[in-house]
Amino acid sequence: MVGLFKCTNTFVEGLKMQAPMLVLKNNSKRESGRKVQLSNIKAAKTISDIIRTCLGPKAMLKMLMDPMGGIVMTNDGNAILREIQVQHPAAKSMIEISRTQDEEVGDGTTSVIILAGELLKVAEPFLVENMHPTVIIAAYRQALEDAVDMMRNDVAKSVDINNREEMIKIIKSSLGTKFMKGWNDLACGIALDAVKCVNIDDKGGYKEIDIKRYAKVEKVPGGSIEMSEILDGVMFNKDVTHTGMKRRIENPRIVMLDCNLEYKKGESQTNMEFMQETDFRKILQLEENYIKEICDDIIALKPDLVLTEKGVSDLAQHFLLKAGISAIRRLRKSDMNRVARAVGGQIVHRTEELKESDVGTECGLFEIKKFGDEYFTFLTKCKNPKACTILLRGASKDVLMEVERNLQDAMNVARNVMLDPFLVPGGGAVEAALAHRLNEKSKAIQGVGQWPYRALAEALKVIPKTLMQNCGVNTIRTMTNLTAKHATSGPTWGVDGETGNIVDMEEFGVWDTLQVKSQVLKTAIETAILLLRIDDIVSGVKKQSDIDAEKMAGKFQPAPQEPAEE
Amino acid sequence: MTTTQSISLFGEREKGESVRTQNMTAAVAIANIVKSSLGPVGLDKMLVDEVGDVTVTNDGATILKLLEVEHPAAKVLCELAQLQDEEVGDGTTSVVIIAAELLRAANELIKQKIHPTTIINGYKLACKESVKFIQDNLSVPAADLGKNCLLNVAKTSMSSKIIGSDKDFFSNIIVQSCELIRFTNTRGEPKCPIKTINVLKAHGKSTRESMFIKGYALNCTVASQLMPKSIKNAKIACIDFSLQKAKMKLGVQVLVDDPEKLDAIRQRESDITKEKIQLILNSGANVILTTGGIDDMCLKYFVDAGAMAVRRCKKEDVKRIARATGATFVASLSNLEGEESFDAAFLGSAEEISQARICDDELIIIKGTKAKPAASIILRGANDIYVDEMDRSVHDSLCAVKRVIESKAVVPGGGCVEAALSIYLENFATSLGSREQLAIAEFAQAMLVIPKTLVVNAAKDSTELVAKLRAFHNASQTIEAKKGFKWIGLDLENGKCRDNKEAGVLEPAMSKIKSLKFATEAAITILRIDDMIKIYQPSKEDPNSYANAVREGRL
Repeated sequence: MVGLFKCTNTFVEGLKMQAPMLVLKNNSKRESGRKVQLSNIKAAKTISDIIRTCLGPKAMLKMLMDPMGGIVMTNDGNAILREIQVQHPAAKSMIEISRTQDEEVGDGTTSVIILAGELLKVAEPFLVENMHPTVIIAAYRQALEDAVDMMRNDVAKSVDINNREEMIKIIKSSLGTKFMKGWNDLACGIALDAVKCVNIDDKGGYKEIDIKRYAKVEKVPGGSIEMSEILDGVMFNKDVTHTGMKRRIENPRIVMLDCNLEYKKGESQTNMEFMQETDFRKILQLEENYIKEICDDIIALKPDLVLTEKGVSDLAQHFLLKAGISAIRRLRKSDMNRVARAVGGQIVHRTEELKESDVGTECGLFEIKKFGDEYFTFLTKCKNPKACTILLRGASKDVLMEVERNLQDAMNVARNVMLDPFLVPGGGAVEAALAHRLNEKSKAIQGVGQWPYRALAEALKVIPKTLMQNCGVNTIRTMTNLTAKHATSGPTWGVDGETGNIVDMEEFGVWDTLQVKSQVLKTAIETAILLLRIDDIVSGVKKQSDIDAEKMAGKFQPAPQEPAEE
Repeated sequence: MTTTQSISLFGEREKGESVRTQNMTAAVAIANIVKSSLGPVGLDKMLVDEVGDVTVTNDGATILKLLEVEHPAAKVLCELAQLQDEEVGDGTTSVVIIAAELLRAANELIKQKIHPTTIINGYKLACKESVKFIQDNLSVPAADLGKNCLLNVAKTSMSSKIIGSDKDFFSNIIVQSCELIRFTNTRGEPKCPIKTINVLKAHGKSTRESMFIKGYALNCTVASQLMPKSIKNAKIACIDFSLQKAKMKLGVQVLVDDPEKLDAIRQRESDITKEKIQLILNSGANVILTTGGIDDMCLKYFVDAGAMAVRRCKKEDVKRIARATGATFVASLSNLEGEESFDAAFLGSAEEISQARICDDELIIIKGTKAKPAASIILRGANDIYVDEMDRSVHDSLCAVKRVIESKAVVPGGGCVEAALSIYLENFATSLGSREQLAIAEFAQAMLVIPKTLVVNAAKDSTELVAKLRAFHNASQTIEAKKGFKWIGLDLENGKCRDNKEAGVLEPAMSKIKSLKFATEAAITILRIDDMIKIYQPSKEDPNSYANAVREGRL
């Protein structure tokens, strides 16, 4: 696959001038004009062809080998393109948009590439006919404006985010195309609960749904996917420091620390010089006393569990064990933040400053379970957790990775709906509806811009078309039927990706979020515009960092020194 | 006719016509590279570096900066574009094209056996006359055109760029932010320090969702997740030191006699910073911005106090925020008496500070700064390449608007000035009886390269349109009744001539004048060359290497 890209990269020697005079450095290559435009389009098409088969419920997974020999198995557009190494600069720009889509809304990474590829493909005949790219661009831009408006005003419908069944249905249609399809109900439930859990809405209009930080997915190989669950609390891969400590406590009082429970070393450099042997003993005594003191500070609060981000010395373990306190050490900062959000309380640095209010009391059960060879700490049954852990089980690491990606997509869908509760019909329905409407509108456009505008409308149909192709029905016939349906009745007719039949999405229940779909349109069209505007490729130019270095060198260049006289 | 002869150094020497032709060819080659990006229908270049990183741009200066130019005369042109970029910020492409055209014209004259110094004199005279003509006849005081003037200047500057199709939207953002930060300095001159406009880039959403923020957007996140994400009526402390456990400087050792005291030292280390934080918090600060770090121990105090602390901000950002909010940028807490203190007067204030999620990143946005208004622009776009190019385009437009605010004069664009100059200079040339006449006439012809390139890029008939344009300007300069024709320029979308002052195609007068001056000077610099000596790099081979030793028979 990679070899193919290298072939498309056919730069020719530019700047052919008389004599062997060089204006640019030897290694620069330049290509310009029509050729560049066509090669850009070809590159974009090649990229979109790679992941065409990953769209829809009949999508197939791709197996990718990375240079290290590891494998990735996925049908997530972004994950596939991330692994591919391409040579052509336009192809690189295509791959970037998949990432943009992933970071912005987290879903629709495949459609955006397919659509961008198609948009460039339909522009090709216009370029061949000598239409100026700026005309095409203006028409595309206008169409984008119109399409986004139409989508929000004509096609979208609002949804009640508190209606669980509705929400599940939406998430389901996102998961329908993924590996998790077989465990749809389970996965949808998990995704929805996780998002609801981390949703913070203070009435001051500040809304936060931070999935990345507070909804952690922990993958534990082994067991089956059915055993995956969402915890009403958090879980992490740690065991108590001392085997004698309790491994199960109900309603624990939890103290969270981010300091060492060891003898602290000062920041300033200190040396000890002993004059007499008693001093030496005294120092050791001091160190022990110090640990005893900090342990006493902790014990005074009567906690059942101490969590710390740093280490716990043997001596401290001994004191804590004696007081019947379980201790867990070396938690990650991010885990600790989640714990603090789940059980309440505060992370404390200096033990002498511990207060009653710093103790986390909202956890219902502390428990350490063993999966396979490893111990896992569970802090569950929290009263009002604002952070959660999703425990994934599955046959192998590769499967788990894919399941995690699916869940991330699902959670992103749930989040998008919560933030912007509007839906559009899925299964290619919204694209077909927009295509129909844009086509109607194009008739009223004056001038040459009409043609690219109409071509864009046609290009939108690539989504239902690809869905049909992937499930193997007669594309032309079905597409004609779909277009006819849209010409006569509502905007909700789309393709059932399983059978290839035309169904009403209102009944069939496949919905996408408006946010994802409008982002797909925006990103795809803008990328097409970016690539269409290019009429020159120069390769082998300076690196940006070199330029900066040059600038710096220029600034601080010392005055030229006079040659020393002999 | 190549005259290569060996000179005592290891190198080569070329002189006379051959070197002139070579310089001219190199300059034209450079101009040809950027030519197609001129004008509202100009296209972009894609530049790929050795590692494969891609830059897409329409900005002449950026293109030439990234190219690895080898020829010395070509390098002069690249530097010319850089100079225009620094001095004016806009019009980098046209300056290169004009300079190259001037050189080409000069070379023709030299072939007719006219001495370069005569040409140089002619060019200098022509440039001086043109500048005078622009100032006297073609520039319009910005105040005469009203409020739309700035908007139109911004629009004209960005029309050739990637954001050209959204020019209404972006020109609004740009003019708003420039208006916000403009002020009149003590000498009564209007100033518009566009460097203080903070332009941030984030991929995602669409170009239309780029934002203008009346405040300062800081590309950092709050130090701890447990801190509040939004604070109203913020009191801001800007500090330039780390809030970490106190630490002696390198090489300082602490010696204690009594082991008991060792612990006290460590205790003290923690307490010193704690006291500092208390001082700051006691003054009423609820937002702390520091350029240094804040360690876990100290974070807790801020969390407890319900304050928002941001660590590792860029010094530049904090300084600007301090200026905008009226805060004092504090480098140390010690006061003149040697005591530690933090005065409430050091605090700046703002209406609201909140953390916002944009794309996958978080930003801290400071709104309603009290002391001075601040402006920030957040650019959105399909991918990083796209937003980078948007950034460059926005910068160019900001520069153009700034120039108009500061110099208060505009000229119509779309080839209008160049066409008028060509007619004027041709007439002026005929009034001279000396040899410079020829050079000035060539200068006049060279001016036409701008309207010609514009028309060619728009795929229209350049000969016909430019002839029409010249006819209008000729009429305006000869017939008193048709004076109004002097604002006529090109309408490239429709391939017609129109009144560009009415149509709102405006450029800062200063940009036009400077680019004319720079181009003439660069052309003169290259014209003066009649000899090129190129010394090859001495081979870096080690004289004591084994291979050398064998060759010289030392072994």
